[in-house]
Amino acid sequence: MIVVLLIVHGLLAVALLGAITHQALSVLTVARATNGRWNFVDRFRGVDATAYATPIVVLFAVTAIGGALLYPQYRIDVRPALEDTQNSAANGVFEIKEHLVAIGLGLLPAYWLYWRRLHGPETAATRRYLTWLLAFFVWWSFIVGHVLNDIRGLLPS
Amino acid sequence: MTGRLTIFSILFGVFYLAAFYYDLALFRYYPEAGQFHFLRNDNLGVVILWYGWIATSALASAAIAFAVPRKMADRLWPGWAWIIPTAVVVGMLIYERRWFVS
Repeated sequence: MIVVLLIVHGLLAVALLGAITHQALSVLTVARATNGRWNFVDRFRGVDATAYATPIVVLFAVTAIGGALLYPQYRIDVRPALEDTQNSAANGVFEIKEHLVAIGLGLLPAYWLYWRRLHGPETAATRRYLTWLLAFFVWWSFIVGHVLNDIRGLLPS
Repeated sequence: MTGRLTIFSILFGVFYLAAFYYDLALFRYYPEAGQFHFLRNDNLGVVILWYGWIATSALASAAIAFAVPRKMADRLWPGWAWIIPTAVVVGMLIYERRWFVS
């Protein structure tokens, strides 16, 4: 059961990572190429960022809940092993992941609000920075989650 | 409602940092025993405080967000919605340096 939950959690995280990265790049203000040709990055950025807001809120919340359900297993099995091997950096990056996810959950109402309501350009900066903050949280959590999941294979024996 | 939700989001991070730093978990979960407790119980093995920190910060920030008069909340400058959480994250990262220094 825990393996199924871990895989579902990982798949949801992939979807969240894709959505938040699309949105985070779409709010970058970079001048378009003058020749009018769209490269890969232009196409990646050229999305309707507003349409991503609600799916990102749902994916963030559901993925965080999945992580919360997996957390007891981590606390019983993985963390003591990291402490036994004195791998405090691995514990540290996971602690930071915990905090970022919690702060991210708290940010979701404001993030959703500024994307869903018809705000003018005066709130564009708020939307952009809230999106970048969440994108940082999601990237950190994704990378740390995967590294810790595979840590026995990554560390020299 | 805009202002109140923004206040909730701003305060959530601040209260979370305080709850974590001062150990103000609303409740504790002992995964080996599979039990929730309001008070500390050292005989039940490892403890998870994270759920309790989130609950503490959610309740405290919701209480203040709804206590603030709506007109006052709606006058809040939108920039605070990302500036204060960013400051909270920076403060948290500075504190968590302890894991990476010997």
